Amino acid sequence: MRPRIGWLDHLLGALLCAGYVALLLGTSADLAMSRDESFYVTAAQDYARWMRQLWNDPDAALTTESIDAAWDYNHEHPGLAKALFALSWIAHENAKDGGSVGSAGSAADGRHGSAGSAADGAAAEGAGLFASDSDAFRFPGMLSAGLLLWLLYIFGARVFGREAGAFAAVAYALMPRPFYHAHLDCFDVPITLALTFAVYAYWRALTSRGWIVIAGLAWGLALAVKHNSWVLPGIFLIHYVWMVLAARARAKRDLPASARLVTRPWWLVSLAWLGPPIFLATWPWLWHPETMLERFGWYARFHVNHEYYTIAYLGRSWFEPPFPISYPFVLTAITVPLVTLAMAGVGIAMRARAMLPGFVRDRVWKNGDVEPDSPHTDVLLIGCLLAPILMIALPSTPIFGGTKHWFPAYPFLCMYAGLGIVRATNALRHGVGARLPASRWTSRVLVSALVIAPMLVQTVHSHPFGLSHYTPLAGGVPGAADLGMNRQFWGFTTGSLTEYFTEQMPNGGTVYLCDMTPGAWEMLHRDGLLPRNVRWSASMTNADFVMVHHEDHFLEVELQSWIAFGTTKPAHVLTYDGVPIITVYENPRRRR
Amino acid sequence: MWPFALLALVAIYELVAQAVISARVAPDADWASAATFVRGELAPTDLVIVAPAWADPILRRELGDRIPLAAAGRSDLAAYERVWELSIRGRRAAELEGARETMPPALERVFGAVTVRRFDLGASSVRLDLTSSLRDAEVRRGARTCAWRRSAPQGGGLGAGPLTPAEHFFCGPEPWLWVGETATEDLDLQGRHCVWQHPAGTEPIATTYRDVELPGRVVLYGGIYYLHERDEVHGPVDVRVLVDGAEVGRMRHRDGEGWKRMEATTREGRGDVTIEVTAPDPNMRTFCWSASLRGPAREVGE
Repeated sequence: MRPRIGWLDHLLGALLCAGYVALLLGTSADLAMSRDESFYVTAAQDYARWMRQLWNDPDAALTTESIDAAWDYNHEHPGLAKALFALSWIAHENAKDGGSVGSAGSAADGRHGSAGSAADGAAAEGAGLFASDSDAFRFPGMLSAGLLLWLLYIFGARVFGREAGAFAAVAYALMPRPFYHAHLDCFDVPITLALTFAVYAYWRALTSRGWIVIAGLAWGLALAVKHNSWVLPGIFLIHYVWMVLAARARAKRDLPASARLVTRPWWLVSLAWLGPPIFLATWPWLWHPETMLERFGWYARFHVNHEYYTIAYLGRSWFEPPFPISYPFVLTAITVPLVTLAMAGVGIAMRARAMLPGFVRDRVWKNGDVEPDSPHTDVLLIGCLLAPILMIALPSTPIFGGTKHWFPAYPFLCMYAGLGIVRATNALRHGVGARLPASRWTSRVLVSALVIAPMLVQTVHSHPFGLSHYTPLAGGVPGAADLGMNRQFWGFTTGSLTEYFTEQMPNGGTVYLCDMTPGAWEMLHRDGLLPRNVRWSASMTNADFVMVHHEDHFLEVELQSWIAFGTTKPAHVLTYDGVPIITVYENPRRRR
Repeated sequence: MWPFALLALVAIYELVAQAVISARVAPDADWASAATFVRGELAPTDLVIVAPAWADPILRRELGDRIPLAAAGRSDLAAYERVWELSIRGRRAAELEGARETMPPALERVFGAVTVRRFDLGASSVRLDLTSSLRDAEVRRGARTCAWRRSAPQGGGLGAGPLTPAEHFFCGPEPWLWVGETATEDLDLQGRHCVWQHPAGTEPIATTYRDVELPGRVVLYGGIYYLHERDEVHGPVDVRVLVDGAEVGRMRHRDGEGWKRMEATTREGRGDVTIEVTAPDPNMRTFCWSASLRGPAREVGE
């Protein structure tokens, strides 16, 4: 029996959301901006400039020149997420100078990464809405993570019950990799939220006509966040066909059918009518009719023919297809807490009978308690769990993004984990029975502690090295290094060296950034984490210090440092669980 | 009860395993103690290595002043008479596999989480390291002598390839036609101390060492910067080794072969040794070699 979800449930979801966002805001300063974040900061500042212009002079803002000037940068991704980063930053800046949206002295005029530009970004004085400029850009991403927990609780509660929903949300919150990504002004967590919400809306639309329109809206928003949403209707279609065929099979056998089930594909109509218009409406770069098709074609080709970046996996640096099919499965196994995976396994096993087609179920698993519900929810959930992972497992799909490219699978994994945890709780209660005092609550507390402790320990331990973290199944960080796994990407670990560089260069100096972008470095200045006179250097040989972010193929930067500085001895090695993350070389010129 | 039993088992496993992983991390103090001990014992022909290899930056943080470029970017162990292995997590250095099969460590000491072992390989067969002696050589592009030049080191960055060292022979006008002692990342993403000698096409670039002792063997390793080799779309590089103008060995390096070894025998005595590099198509042939003149090979470490 599914619970009726009421305002108390939403209150709990809101608390989960607020608590998680507060946690993310509190831990954000430990993470330097990553490469991709810095690009989106630049884009957000461009968009913010355009939004201000739109507010002050709409006619001028809507000219082709103005739109292209603001929206051309980073046009490989749609506009919605970056527009939210921009709005968050505008709110932050307005709070600083007490101005309005269109206030003068726009900080958004600065182009990130160009000389002296970040000072423009910090032009407004005052405390601002957030503790730092980075937090302002990152807040929509953090909020997405919080809202995802809320949604996960509600979705999980509706499907498997409140306890399962709550555990699902907690299991997602305490996954080390998603916890890192939840801090960022990137798309991976927003798209996970958008896709999960689209699935939820579609699922609701199967039994409630009011949700048909919301399903289309949700998919449109997902399209406006990231390109992986384009495959979602395909998953829905497979599920829908399955569901309709099953309904017909029941009808043939004169079995009762759910009166609420919407078997006409209104959801598809909604997606088709609302999705693409929302995608277009939120992306001014596509607004010119004469260039719309050409630009959309470029966008599609960019992702279909995406460049391959090198990434280490099991001792080999992969840079071209065919990529290993095992990649997403192994990475999931060694980055998601085992307790989550094990409980998801229990949950899936519990529901496995409901995932089988009727004719198979009747033949191979005739006797069982578990029946599919009329919308065949398990088929939908397992499809949404497997689809992102299988997409990455295709030998032609680039794997450079680590686990983040199949994050949309994790909410569904966590829903089954929640169900598995409830099963474990019940098993304890029924197994021990009266021997446990207040067995219902005792078993809940005991299971909660057993579940949450390893998740929490690993997530806490992963910070601020989220992308370098591996679970005990891999032997932790050192075990993963032994296995030849990727140690990091994006250069974000530089955030752990700000104190070192500040101490080493009290009178200022320069650092060669290796995998970090100048824009990300500039954010350390803007956030007050690094003195402004500690600058980045484009020249390795002229820099006071050289950073080497350890990835196997980055060895060449280390070798170059040896030649440039005439020594193989680092000045400093940043380690995580004893594994080198960044090695720093000092220019001997400083010692003369 | 089995779902709860599974949960309890997995949860306890993860908690205990995480604690064990953290507890097994070698503290800096252990590295420092081991390094202090080794530093006190190091002889000029000793090599210090670490297992697992990913701990190499930590080793060099402690002993980098005693690990010159030639040692850090070695092609084999032939130049070293004793090898010190600093080991953590029970790991053993792969390049000492042969030595371990034939001899026990001459010394073993434990410094907390770091174990120090010493392997005495015997007298080195290397008489002259041609890579490190480049300054004493002459370099010609065809008939033209390439000038020894000193400038600021040039280059740096991911995808930029080996750095142009401050001192090198310049054979230009193409900026990549220099010959100098540098380090390259080979196809296996290993660092190699080497002499950059980019071919100029069929016109040979030749590095000649005048009047050197010939102990009987020349061993040469060569390869192409990994980014230019891994796609396996470019042409071969030809290397010839000549003694007094007569060819004693040659190697054709094709993409995909990685850091390739060639060995040639020579007469004994004294003579001029030339390493000549050509390529039918020099595009992206970022070739680098490491070579030495050696006497009879010893049993282990070559």
